[in-house]
Amino acid sequence: MISVKHFRKSFDDRAVHKDVTFDVIEGECLGLVGGSGIGKSVVLRSLIGLEKGDGGEIWIEGEEISKLKERDLVEIRKKVAYVFQNGALFDSMSVYENLAYPLREHTNYDEKEIKRRVRNQLEEFGLGDAIKKLPAELSGGMQKRVGLARSLMIGPKVILYDEPTAGLDPYNTLKIQEMVLALKKKGVTSVFVTHDMPTAIAVCDRFCLLANGVVADVSMANAIKKQSMLDKFIQGDGV
Amino acid sequence: MKASHATFLRNFGGATIMTKQVISELFRPPLYFSLILEQIYQIGVMSLPLVLVTAGSTGMVMALQFGLGLEKFGGKLYVPKIVSISILREMGPVFSCLMLAARCGAGIASEIGSMTVTQQIDAIRALGTSPIKKIVIPRVLGCLIGIPILAMAANFVGVFGALVVCTNDLGLDPVFFVQKVLTTLWLPDFISGFMKTPVFALMIAIPACYFGLTVKGGTKGVGNATTMAVVTASISILVGDYILTKFYWVIEQWL
Repeated sequence: MISVKHFRKSFDDRAVHKDVTFDVIEGECLGLVGGSGIGKSVVLRSLIGLEKGDGGEIWIEGEEISKLKERDLVEIRKKVAYVFQNGALFDSMSVYENLAYPLREHTNYDEKEIKRRVRNQLEEFGLGDAIKKLPAELSGGMQKRVGLARSLMIGPKVILYDEPTAGLDPYNTLKIQEMVLALKKKGVTSVFVTHDMPTAIAVCDRFCLLANGVVADVSMANAIKKQSMLDKFIQGDGV
Repeated sequence: MKASHATFLRNFGGATIMTKQVISELFRPPLYFSLILEQIYQIGVMSLPLVLVTAGSTGMVMALQFGLGLEKFGGKLYVPKIVSISILREMGPVFSCLMLAARCGAGIASEIGSMTVTQQIDAIRALGTSPIKKIVIPRVLGCLIGIPILAMAANFVGVFGALVVCTNDLGLDPVFFVQKVLTTLWLPDFISGFMKTPVFALMIAIPACYFGLTVKGGTKGVGNATTMAVVTASISILVGDYILTKFYWVIEQWL
């Protein structure tokens, strides 16, 4: 589904990525983890063409996208949704207008159908009351949920999550976690960038650890869960 | 190469590439007419009071200064001629565009800059749409349509301001003033000033959009981008005014 081969990226003289290579299988949720400033978001942004690499290849559904022009990336971006860390909602538009935006741009639905779809989506995300509100009137958690709801409006096949739970309280973290798991059940492929390891372990199937500009380790989530249980057992915490 | 030279070349190149994108996307559907109309309203209608006050004061001050100066030589009767030509050829378009560079240039750069730092521009791209089409083209067209119209209004109000001062302070007959203005001014005077306004409009819109889209460094970056947009537009207008005046002067000589 997604294949990153020998991806390189530098900022000024600093080589952030020297040779990043990994694959994401269809229906899988891949956790991209690593220390702060290691360039996880740069890789994620490159998967949708928001950032251009200095070398290497990025394949999405059999299409090499790293050399595509901005206008040729539109078709890819209809298939691949990006969930921004802070929601990135259009602050001059209401929640309704934010969710209607992708439908107006990429479908021929009339206003009645758009309204119906936006309402349904908001109800599904538990945001029915927020329809007329401006983003500034929403809490951080609600903004992230609206951002997630907006990115799903035209049914993407792949979702890229950029720290979706950063700065959230446990309740909103759990909400986002449930939404990601629900999407995973529907067969949506995803790449999950986060520092929130409990959430990552709960939703991801596999992890890629980025370090020193390369993929330093790839582990199955099950193995990490087992290891963590073993650690608890050894420390006498019980399992 | 000095860092400032490199920055200048990078910005000039970036703005040129953005202008090329604007031209290429302008002729490719869809074109967002509602957004263009909104910008014409924001730039054209909302700037009207500022431009009218600026033009009116300029016309009044010029009439007063020329009146007081020329009175010593018995040349007070030439004030309508001198002031109206100055306003139509230079003061109307240049002063109104300088004011619009401050108002609209700052507004556009800070609005787009804020959208950039809050990742709204990235969101536009991630949702499969073009910031050039959604953000830049409406503002460029808003300036291209709104600013020449505002400059025309500025010309009219500037001459009217001069009429008020000539009548009240210099003791000239209003009918004499209007007669002199109408017999002095002819089409090339109007064209000489008016043809500069679309160029000035681009000099305001392009740097404002470019600096807004390339903001780095959070809110401080937005402030810097706004300053750069206004300074670049103002200097471009003043330098560009000389070049355009010279260009038109050569054409007038040739014709």
